Amino acid sequence: MIGNDIVDLKYSSTGWVRPRFLDKVFTLKEQALIFSSEHQHQTVWLLWSMKEAAYKIHVRQFGERFFNPTRLVCDLISKEKGLVRIDDNCYFTESTVTEDYVYTVAKQDQNQEVCTSIFETKKEEYTIQSNVLKQQLLKSISQIEKIDRDVLSIKKTDLGIPEVFVNSVKLPKPISLTHCGRFSGFAYA
Amino acid sequence: MTKDQLIAKLKTIVQPYIQDEDAFNNLSEETDFINDLKINSANLVDVILDVEDEFDIRIENDDMEKMISVRAAMDVVNEKLAAK
Repeated sequence: MIGNDIVDLKYSSTGWVRPRFLDKVFTLKEQALIFSSEHQHQTVWLLWSMKEAAYKIHVRQFGERFFNPTRLVCDLISKEKGLVRIDDNCYFTESTVTEDYVYTVAKQDQNQEVCTSIFETKKEEYTIQSNVLKQQLLKSISQIEKIDRDVLSIKKTDLGIPEVFVNSVKLPKPISLTHCGRFSGFAYA
Repeated sequence: MTKDQLIAKLKTIVQPYIQDEDAFNNLSEETDFINDLKINSANLVDVILDVEDEFDIRIENDDMEKMISVRAAMDVVNEKLAAK
């Protein structure tokens, strides 16, 4: 299983400077990492995107939604690679950090091959951006799997997990979608 | 505070962060912050902080954990207000 998350560093909330924000999101060890880093805004959203990407796998795996980011504990192995623990589960993360965005893909299996893509659009209305993202992913799947684009569609489960269908049959390939501000990204395994 | 008053206050709090106008206009106890209102999860932290400020309460992370819908948020606010 996989999960992804993108944060537009320009449009991301600067709310983390609010009192109590950090305590609601980060463990003390993570907060120490943020305060000691050169680019604090970037580090906040790097750790956030790691948690969010791993959370998406967790929801897929256990079918339980919750909102408690401190329950997801991050460890950075290198600048790009990390681990996120939720209770007794551990997920592997790979992140890309640029001046504009932070993007993380989380995997259950470290060696799993993941096809992933990030693209920039104008900051649009949610439904338009969401539609563009889905079309991009379906185009990519159509090419990789050699399936006619017209028979492919994306539906969301009651938990909000997106799945790909060939006509009415579910394709047994996990996908993950994300967007924030100007950026959208998909991951497909 | 009546149930309707509480819903109205929550509605004002979430308004700056919603990305689905229709779901917002039809907001009810059943409304889900993320799946229905499409609130970005990072902004959900802002919602929780705004709820704390508005009602002058503190929400522990264990209580925050269930606050993904209007109904759950109402339950937590009522519990905290009753304990004041």
